[in-house]
Amino acid sequence: MTAKVLLCRCEDVTLDEVEEAIAKGHRDLESVKRYTGFGTGWCQGKQCVNLCARVLYERTGEAPTLPFTPRPPFHPVPLGALASLAEDSEDDDA
Amino acid sequence: MAPRRIDAQDLPPATPLARRLAHRAAAAQTVTIEHDGEPIEARLGEPVALSLAAAGRLSLARSPKYHRPRGASCMRGGCDGCLVRVGDTPGVMACRVGAASGMKVTSQNAFPTAGVDVFGVTDWFFPKHMDHHRLMVGFGDAINRTMQAFARRMAGLGTLPESPGEIVAHDEVSVDVLVVGAGSAGCAAADTLAARGLSVLLVDEEPAAGGSRLDRVDDAGPFPSPASTVRAMREASAVATYANGTLVLCSGAITLVNARARLFATGTHDLVGSFARNDLPGIFTARAFSKALCHGVLLGERVAIVGSSAWAVALHEALREAKVRVEWAPEAELVEALGARAVHGAVVREGGRARSIKCDALVTAAEPVAAYELAGQAGAGLAWDDARRCFAPRSDDDGATAAAGVYVAGSVRGRFASHADREADGVRVALRIARDLGGAP
Repeated sequence: MTAKVLLCRCEDVTLDEVEEAIAKGHRDLESVKRYTGFGTGWCQGKQCVNLCARVLYERTGEAPTLPFTPRPPFHPVPLGALASLAEDSEDDDA
Repeated sequence: MAPRRIDAQDLPPATPLARRLAHRAAAAQTVTIEHDGEPIEARLGEPVALSLAAAGRLSLARSPKYHRPRGASCMRGGCDGCLVRVGDTPGVMACRVGAASGMKVTSQNAFPTAGVDVFGVTDWFFPKHMDHHRLMVGFGDAINRTMQAFARRMAGLGTLPESPGEIVAHDEVSVDVLVVGAGSAGCAAADTLAARGLSVLLVDEEPAAGGSRLDRVDDAGPFPSPASTVRAMREASAVATYANGTLVLCSGAITLVNARARLFATGTHDLVGSFARNDLPGIFTARAFSKALCHGVLLGERVAIVGSSAWAVALHEALREAKVRVEWAPEAELVEALGARAVHGAVVREGGRARSIKCDALVTAAEPVAAYELAGQAGAGLAWDDARRCFAPRSDDDGATAAAGVYVAGSVRGRFASHADREADGVRVALRIARDLGGAP
């Protein structure tokens, strides 16, 4: 297999891709995420967020401020397990 | 050489690992599972990823875009390396499901199997990366649409089950304090809170309490055991948390936990790190390799450890005791892993010079990073921790965060030298919670 550096394994995002994003002016995690799709896969950022933050820090010299918002679920959940919660939920802004 | 099982007889008798393995062997029950149609011998209840590894099967999955071979790297549900189909269910983490008699495990997202996937050529077509934003754009709508359909077929994480799943009824629980994580900090906090008369639910993903200590080759316990007054949910994951409830997934069912206070003692994640071919099967975090050893599975016969974390120190010592060939490069930096389908070496930089190491298991031992996800969801502020080079929840000395009723304790919020220090932190945060809830002093 080729000598790629995988920053985000789940979405197959390489260091090369993140560097291209930085070169195009994306200088924060949220923006790099939107450009490359890193952090949107199976693990939801458990591996890649800090790896990408370190690359950004090194390349831009700016200390990282915030990760992108950690979203539920922590692990994937079968929809059947969530379905019964909807029955007694009056509001959907929980 | 391949991974194999190891037992107490392979080790000097008095070592902690030998004691752990003797204890485990006494309770072991052999079952047969199936992987891509072939029978595999497994130990009942052990993580299936370890059963497969012990049978020499490290390449379990293929990556979504390039179809690169993937294997389990973290062994604790923090990577994509061990995603398989179990029975009719796609996308199961083989490291988080216990082996059971007759279990059918199959590769997904690969043709015909993860071991030999013809779509692996994608990786060679796009040696640096595939810019899917612009791929086949500008060649006309028809070509673009064909390409999209092709990409959709190639990518993804397996196919849907044959039949729709059942709706599983949920449960609801109300407690004073929900503690997530039954490691040293979480257990100490739960006991302290319960001793002050507060009702406590302690949730953890493992079958036993102990947290990171359970995975340490130099620790034979006794591991923390929460008091009988603490209600414990084991093999249960807190998957989402909101001000009006936390969802805990256990045996396929959700428990909605309403708590006056939530304490996240969620510990850390381990990163493999950034270097060329860092996704090769046969690359493990030091904690993954240690955890496998504690289950009696040796993930390689010629081991290279790169990095200087506490996990590396303990693992190096245990491997030497077990007479396994091991090379430890504490101060080196990984440049490249070598191998086509599995790792057979690494290039490291040490004191400005590059050199190569031969190995069939490459173990990366960087400092772990904070598992901040749930605390972050709960509204604890997050900030960059320069010492650990990771994001972590912000908390005051007593573990209180910016969100009312949300606390953190233990290694999620900083580096602690020992489990005794993490226990002390758990107690300190628990006393603060008790004070904030107005419990008895």
